[in-house]
Amino acid sequence: MERLITNYYETASIILFGIGFMTLLIHNNLIKKIIGMNIMDTSIFLFFIAKGYISAKEAPIIRAPYMGVEGYINPVPTALMLTGIVVAVSVTAFALALTIKIYEKYGTIELNEILEKGGD
Amino acid sequence: MNTLILFPVLFPITAAVAFNLITFKTRASRNIVTASVIIVNFLLVLLAFRFAAIPELQLVKTNSILDIYFKVDKLGILFSLLVSLLWICTAFYSFEYMKHEGREKSFFTFFTATLGVTLGIAFAGNLFTMYLFYEFLTLVTFPLVIHSGSEEAMQVGRKYLKYSFFGAALVLAGIALLYMSGSNFSFTGYGVINTVDVKSRGLLIFTYCLFFVGFGVKAAVVPLHAWLPSAMVAPTPVSSLLHAVAVVKVGIFALTRVTYYIFGAQVIKTIDSIYFVGPLVVFTILLGSILAYHQDNLKKRLAYSTISQLGYIILGLILLNRDSLTGALMHLVNHAVIKITLFFCVGAVMYMTGKKTIQEIKGIGKEMPITMGCFSIAAISLIGIPPTNGFVSKWYLALGGLHENRAIFVIILLTSALLTAAYLIPIIITAFFPGEDYRPSVSRRDPPANMLVPIVILTAVVVLLGLFPNLVLNFIKVIAVEVI
Amino acid sequence: MAAAANFPLLIILILFLSSFMMPVLKRVKAVKWLSLSSILLCVVLSVLTLAYVQQNGAFLYKVGHFEAPWGNELKIGYLEAIMSIMFTSIAALITWASFFSADYEIKEKNIMLYYTLCGMLLASLLGILYSNDIFNCFVFIELSSIAACGIVVVKDKKENIKAGVKYLILSSLGSGLVLMGIAFLYSITGNLNIGFIHQELVKVKDLYHNTLIISLGLFTVGLGVKSAMFPVHIWLPDAHTYAPSSSSALLSSLVLKAYILLYIKIIYRVFGIEIVKTLPILEIVLVMGAVGMIFGSILALLQKDLKRMIAYSSVAQIGYIFFGIGLGNILGLMAAIFHIISHALTKSALFLIAGNIIERIHSKEISRLKGIGIEMPITLGVFVVCALSMVGIPLFAGFNSKWNFALAIIDSNRILFIAVLVASSLLNALYYLPIIINAYFGEENTKDRVYMSKEKSLGALLPILILAFAIIYLGISSNGIIDLIAKSVSNL
Repeated sequence: MERLITNYYETASIILFGIGFMTLLIHNNLIKKIIGMNIMDTSIFLFFIAKGYISAKEAPIIRAPYMGVEGYINPVPTALMLTGIVVAVSVTAFALALTIKIYEKYGTIELNEILEKGGD
Repeated sequence: MNTLILFPVLFPITAAVAFNLITFKTRASRNIVTASVIIVNFLLVLLAFRFAAIPELQLVKTNSILDIYFKVDKLGILFSLLVSLLWICTAFYSFEYMKHEGREKSFFTFFTATLGVTLGIAFAGNLFTMYLFYEFLTLVTFPLVIHSGSEEAMQVGRKYLKYSFFGAALVLAGIALLYMSGSNFSFTGYGVINTVDVKSRGLLIFTYCLFFVGFGVKAAVVPLHAWLPSAMVAPTPVSSLLHAVAVVKVGIFALTRVTYYIFGAQVIKTIDSIYFVGPLVVFTILLGSILAYHQDNLKKRLAYSTISQLGYIILGLILLNRDSLTGALMHLVNHAVIKITLFFCVGAVMYMTGKKTIQEIKGIGKEMPITMGCFSIAAISLIGIPPTNGFVSKWYLALGGLHENRAIFVIILLTSALLTAAYLIPIIITAFFPGEDYRPSVSRRDPPANMLVPIVILTAVVVLLGLFPNLVLNFIKVIAVEVI
Repeated sequence: MAAAANFPLLIILILFLSSFMMPVLKRVKAVKWLSLSSILLCVVLSVLTLAYVQQNGAFLYKVGHFEAPWGNELKIGYLEAIMSIMFTSIAALITWASFFSADYEIKEKNIMLYYTLCGMLLASLLGILYSNDIFNCFVFIELSSIAACGIVVVKDKKENIKAGVKYLILSSLGSGLVLMGIAFLYSITGNLNIGFIHQELVKVKDLYHNTLIISLGLFTVGLGVKSAMFPVHIWLPDAHTYAPSSSSALLSSLVLKAYILLYIKIIYRVFGIEIVKTLPILEIVLVMGAVGMIFGSILALLQKDLKRMIAYSSVAQIGYIFFGIGLGNILGLMAAIFHIISHALTKSALFLIAGNIIERIHSKEISRLKGIGIEMPITLGVFVVCALSMVGIPLFAGFNSKWNFALAIIDSNRILFIAVLVASSLLNALYYLPIIINAYFGEENTKDRVYMSKEKSLGALLPILILAFAIIYLGISSNGIIDLIAKSVSNL
């Protein structure tokens, strides 16, 4: 328990990951699925960035007094997550576009109804 | 001139491809071409024996397993001669017979191709090459089995494929297991596996059983025999070939190769495999005979009879002494000749009268005396009554059984001989002594010469081999000495 | 030849650049030829790369000016070189084949997009293959899933959109899991470069046993979803069935394989087989592979739709590959890699054939395929080659795969699994052979069929003929390729 509290970033991100994962899996509504996917991705971003953050240190933007290597947080995860966000956004956009198509063709975005209508 | 070995294998296959492309103007011209291809191929076989200086040929060797290697040894010579000669007889017989089956083009294409593939098995010099042709055999005989194209034939065809591929898969697993022990697998007189220790014993037994069951599928070992009686939907020349040489005998031949040329008699003896495969063989012999007794359809009766007779041959193989092996190989030859005669006779009856079951053929002996006469001689031979060739092989099989102090096998042989009599004699009796209510029919109608001549020649061979068995026997004895 | 070190990067760039140029071009024909010529150029470059690797051995290529842990790296060894030849050449053949089928299956306005997506897909797959940076791999994975999804929905039919959505959802689920796996690895090693991660992992493996299990587990499931490992294959049948045939061929023969190759890289290069062997994951992969081999085939047996049957057969074949990886020995890995190649050849040919057949018969039903052996003898002839290869008849590529698997099984002392191998190849025979039988034989089936009446032109048949030739070539002389695979495995 104590370990969970000390590593609260990780705990939170894993909980979020679980929520996102389940939303993605069990909901029938495609929009909800996409939201779940986003929650899942966000949780991973949180996890990554938490790994790079070291408390009481500054963002690695070097201004007047240079505080040495020890003075800044690790910038790599943050940079990576920028890429990650871009990727997630593009996947989301694509998924939403497909959802619109689905609505046009089937008149619904509930996955179970779509599957019932089948491929005639 | 080692490449001579290749010709008898490739020539018929090439010819078959050509048949498929050429359209013959008349039936006669196709028959002449087919006959000459098959006869020329026989000459090629002889030529290969005579002039191939070192009778072996490494065709392709890309890695340690993909190694296509041909070698002609005495067993191969025996088998290939048997195959080529019977093929000639069957060719002539089918020229007439296939007239009423139709689609002769497809028939003669695959008929010729099968000859090449079978000879490939006879000349295969290592396990892989044999396996390769064994798979091809399934593929080229399949169109023959489903020749009529009816729904029933298609079903039987599927059954045949399933059984065959199952067997081949087991064989492949067996080859893989053997391969790990790392020796080379060219066929060698006393086997290539020399040592059996406690550790490898279990594995060897397992491997041998895989091979036995795998090749046993083609040799119709019970309980994997079911495809054989069903395959009777095929035209008679096909059934007779399948039974006499092409398929079931290939199973036996392959089993001989594995037993004596890969494992070696000594190793098989050490691993006591007879306790594992013996019961299967005994079942095969007895069950085959008993089931044959219950068949009304003549071809089916002969099919079950084949199962039982194949059991004899395998029994001879696994008893592992010189006499039994001599008997087995002798019976391999004899049974081929006898069974092909029986099938030809039954086929002739079907062709001339359309009669298929025992009830129908009452008094047929009076209408077709020569055909049924030949049938009777062959039947007597199969039962094992001297002076026919069946007697010779059974004699050696019995000797082999006694040699091992296993009288039980001799008893089984005798029981089965009685059963053989029980299912064959009634046919002869019905044919010749139709009873009171029989009204003599039109006239004598023995089949045309194309069919009759092969039958008579083969019957003559049956008797000749009985009177002068030494022709073949001495040759076989040399083989036996070379491997045990 | 020193310039050859730049070729892998060049390949990716050429493909991306050419595919982004396509939407600008006005004429469909120009797009088609640009696509084919860029891929053909990549084939040549891949071959040169292999020659370079054979001369100088495996090498690391620095992208940009930064040294390894900061900058990006490509690693090109034998495996990457062979696979990139395979990827590009099969893609070239499929592209050639699609020239003749795209007009039939895809709306005119989408054809340009289709080739754009194909180019992107191939580039990102090669990116996954080459990259020595695990986060880079992730980016390429996402890119490839979007492109792969794109080539499924490009047909713009109801079912395609449905299949596409299903594929996209499961695929992004998979990428999420992979990213989480990367996050765990990063948190214990602080590196993303594969070589550096491995160095760090060797130091800390005892401290973080559970983290390693979780991380490898996430990779297994994530990449398993994407490459259709057995219980998580559910997206595959729909996607492969409804997609245009050339897309199905690309998906089945290349896309799935790229993820499997990444998985191999993760096991052998990121974790290292010694570490992986202390974790229970490989056993699960082995069992899943074996179950997939059987159930994939059984499901294929039950299908009535030709493409769906071939799709399920893919599930079974992917089972073989995971099975080989799961055996955990060198022979198993070699067998898996060989099977990746032989399956890619066979499956792409099968899907292209299915496309041809469907185009001419106007039906996907297996029961309607009677007598087509007479009508389309060449197409069906290649089908026979593929089917025999799948069943494992000697002299075809599939036999060598099966043989290698058998050796690997025996080498790992799990002889009972041979039964699985045997059973699976028999099941393959059960669903492929009836099609051939009905196509060529049977009186009712062949009545009134006109010889060659429905065959496509020789140009359209060229790709499948080349593939058939390659299958037979791999079946007869597999030595060269096996040697290369052995080399590539030894310096993974």
